[in-house]
Amino acid sequence: MRADLAFSYIRRGLLYLGLSVAAFVSIFPFYWMVVGSTNTSPDIAHGKVTPGTYLLENIARFFEMVDVPRMFWNSAFIALVGTALTLIVSSLAGYGFEMFKSRFRERIFAFLLLMLSIPFAALMVPLFIMMSRLGLINTFTAVIVPGIASIFIIFYFRQATKAFPSELRDAARLDGLNEWQIFVHVYIPVMRSTYAAATIIVFMANWNNYLWPLIVLQTVENKTVTLIVSALSYAYVPDYGVIMISAVFATLPTVLIFFLLQRRFVEGMLGAVK
Amino acid sequence: MAARIVRREQINGWLFVAPALVLLGIFMIYPILWSLWMSFQTGRGMSFSFGGLANIQRLTQDTVFLRALSNTMIFLAVQVPIMIVLALLFAVALNDTKLWGRAFFRTAIFLPCVTSLVAYAVLFKSMFGAEGVVNVALTAIGIGPIPWLTDPFWAKVLIILAITWRWTGYNMIFYLAALQNVDRSIYEAARIDGVPPWARFWYLTLPMLKPVILFTTVISTIGTLQLFDEPYNITQGGPSDATLTLSYYIYNLTFRFMPSFGYSATVSWVIVVLVGILTFVQFMVARERKRT
Amino acid sequence: MSSVKLSGVRKSFGSVEVIKGVDLEVDSKEFVVFVGPSGCGKSTLLRMIAGLEPITEGELEIGGVRMNDVDPSKRGIAMVFQSYALYPHMTVRDNMGFALRFAKVPKPEIDRQVNEAARILALGPLMDRFPKELSGGQRQRVAIGRAIVRQPEVFLFDEPLSNLDAELRVHMRIEIARLHKELQTTIIYVTHDQVEAMTLADKIVVLRDGVIEQAGRPLDLYDDPANQFVAGFIGSPRMNFLPASVVEKGSGSVTVALAHHDGVRLTLPVTGAEPGQDVTLGVRPEHFGPAGAGGADLVLDIDVAEHLGSTSFVYARAAGEPLIIEREESRNGDETRITVSIDPAKAYLFDKQGQRIR
Repeated sequence: MRADLAFSYIRRGLLYLGLSVAAFVSIFPFYWMVVGSTNTSPDIAHGKVTPGTYLLENIARFFEMVDVPRMFWNSAFIALVGTALTLIVSSLAGYGFEMFKSRFRERIFAFLLLMLSIPFAALMVPLFIMMSRLGLINTFTAVIVPGIASIFIIFYFRQATKAFPSELRDAARLDGLNEWQIFVHVYIPVMRSTYAAATIIVFMANWNNYLWPLIVLQTVENKTVTLIVSALSYAYVPDYGVIMISAVFATLPTVLIFFLLQRRFVEGMLGAVK
Repeated sequence: MAARIVRREQINGWLFVAPALVLLGIFMIYPILWSLWMSFQTGRGMSFSFGGLANIQRLTQDTVFLRALSNTMIFLAVQVPIMIVLALLFAVALNDTKLWGRAFFRTAIFLPCVTSLVAYAVLFKSMFGAEGVVNVALTAIGIGPIPWLTDPFWAKVLIILAITWRWTGYNMIFYLAALQNVDRSIYEAARIDGVPPWARFWYLTLPMLKPVILFTTVISTIGTLQLFDEPYNITQGGPSDATLTLSYYIYNLTFRFMPSFGYSATVSWVIVVLVGILTFVQFMVARERKRT
Repeated sequence: MSSVKLSGVRKSFGSVEVIKGVDLEVDSKEFVVFVGPSGCGKSTLLRMIAGLEPITEGELEIGGVRMNDVDPSKRGIAMVFQSYALYPHMTVRDNMGFALRFAKVPKPEIDRQVNEAARILALGPLMDRFPKELSGGQRQRVAIGRAIVRQPEVFLFDEPLSNLDAELRVHMRIEIARLHKELQTTIIYVTHDQVEAMTLADKIVVLRDGVIEQAGRPLDLYDDPANQFVAGFIGSPRMNFLPASVVEKGSGSVTVALAHHDGVRLTLPVTGAEPGQDVTLGVRPEHFGPAGAGGADLVLDIDVAEHLGSTSFVYARAAGEPLIIEREESRNGDETRITVSIDPAKAYLFDKQGQRIR
């Protein structure tokens, strides 16, 4: 039995070792980013892992090179407006599919699920031509509108609605509310945590969006945070200190949201599992 | 009276789903069909004419396309399995309530998923430079520097490492959720039945997790087939197209060079076809396994 | 071969002690039921016997062999879980045969044993179905079948009937009793339902807060409870408890006066109390007699009367104190007051700490 016990201690040890390595590898780039923002570009390129004293300089140069408030505003506007619209449209649809079942609509829903596998790469060319013909290139509208109807979020809301007790709807009907009122005054409040989780997912996707904004937004004043970060790294001689700062700016909102709303965040992803 | 109520239900049903359907129709169905039509057009810029299967023929002779295709498939074949297996192992390890520091490890491994693809790509680019921090560490332990960004093979490895770093936690959360939905007494029953730990994982955990593993595999496949942000920002598709992916190639065709929209539409339909085939295959494999 | 013995068993989770010294002997082939309110430790005790929880202190013997550190699969036990714990991705047949695959039993033997268990539980037509295609009762039988196949010395049941509806519960109770007779194994059964305990057990063990309040045959616990807790726990509806005080002590008897009900007096054949002592009088709802039948008479206001056809439950009140009386159906829905008598021979006396006074 003692061999058994020793063996299980070794197994435990290896387990902790493996997990610790994974945790270290996962966290290191964040550390790297924060430390990098305090160092000079050459130092970063040569792998300096200790903090330096150039934080303020990097920040200053960042603000020089980039219209930071404008950049933030661009990302925030697109993310917030996009998120709000997506939530409204997709939750309406998810609710509609689940509450008003009809054979025809079920077939449509199944078709939608199939459409989940359509890659964005197949859409970006026609969408670009479409936007260009409408004269909407370089506008926020062009960035936001194509993404409002998200099949994934419709699916997510439909799944969540299955847990919504239909007796609530019946009771409200008896109280004289019409369907729209029921949705607004009964469904939305009851499904608050679903909306919260969905908000997090959609907001993050919108904030982090890259390829489509890259295609649509042409002028620097309109560029979002992700585009700026990328553009900085494409410079002939990249200034890594500034790039690190920009990365911090790009990542901070989502990290904050993550830590503040961890449970909702994970809940959001798990909702899709069921 | 009843008919009126039924009709009202129907009308309401349509009203609720209409905005989404309209938007999807305009921004998904219309473009994808248009794209299909375009793939049969040849010509440069805005002047195109029907070219039949000319674009498809061009595909077969386009060495850059073939390289992008092979790169994408390599990424798919190597990265997805590694990531799924890692995520599974982490999830099983972190499902043990008696593990110390469980919440910490879970948060740490998931943290990469919070970053934007661009930000982390840029970070990786700065870490894996010729004299970057990773090579400094490697030299310190005696392995010596690796030409991450300049060697075709290592550049691919770098991309795979990056994607795995970014997405393993995401899949792990799905598996953790599924594991937590499993009745713990099943494992206790297996313990009492004398089923050894490895067999509990292989015969109980894995089969019970099959639906969610399928789900994540399909999503990961779709994601990897459309890989763009990482090659664009870490390796710029290089060196010499060693990390060029299909999406990146489409981007180049459409926005870098003199655009031939028809041809880029054709390439994008290659992705659609690949996604369709692979998803179908994966579902078939999953159904087969049910027998065993 | 299949006796179970617990000696001085204690269990702590961290600094919280949940089992506080349990001594118990279960004889071979005995049907023992652990019963008690939520949190009393009955499931924990069962799981310690199974080996799913380590024993903090004390000794566990199965079949005379010390089993504290023995792996669950090697203790000669099988367990039926509250949630049945069936492997969802396997058919009934595979579920039942799964364990034997790892005991290196040859396939034809596995089939034989599985079929035998299926026969005992009438699972024949269900063998190729999956758990999600089965009803609650059917799943339960499969769970039992899975346990039978391992041919254990001791069967452990953890609240197996909690998830079934009332009618099914009655049916399955009979099934389990029948099973015990046919298989002739030791059974340790955990439930919070005292009716299950009373009907199934050879021996009932009443637990509260990690301690055995009383252990014995069902009717012994009913007729002769050791304390107020057991008296109130066993028997449905619950025994009535009336505060009283001792006013007189004679040779072989004691007279108490009820705190309420105008100090009605009752003399009981009890010797262990002293005058002036505060006591509690316990009377079961079914032990009230008609007015004037001897003993003491109480006049009560009726709150609600439930008429069940042959009996009725009268929820009465006197001086703000609720009482339940069970009596033959009077078919009189208009009564607002009733008078009942208490038979001293069927009444119980408890001291201030809840211990029985004899």
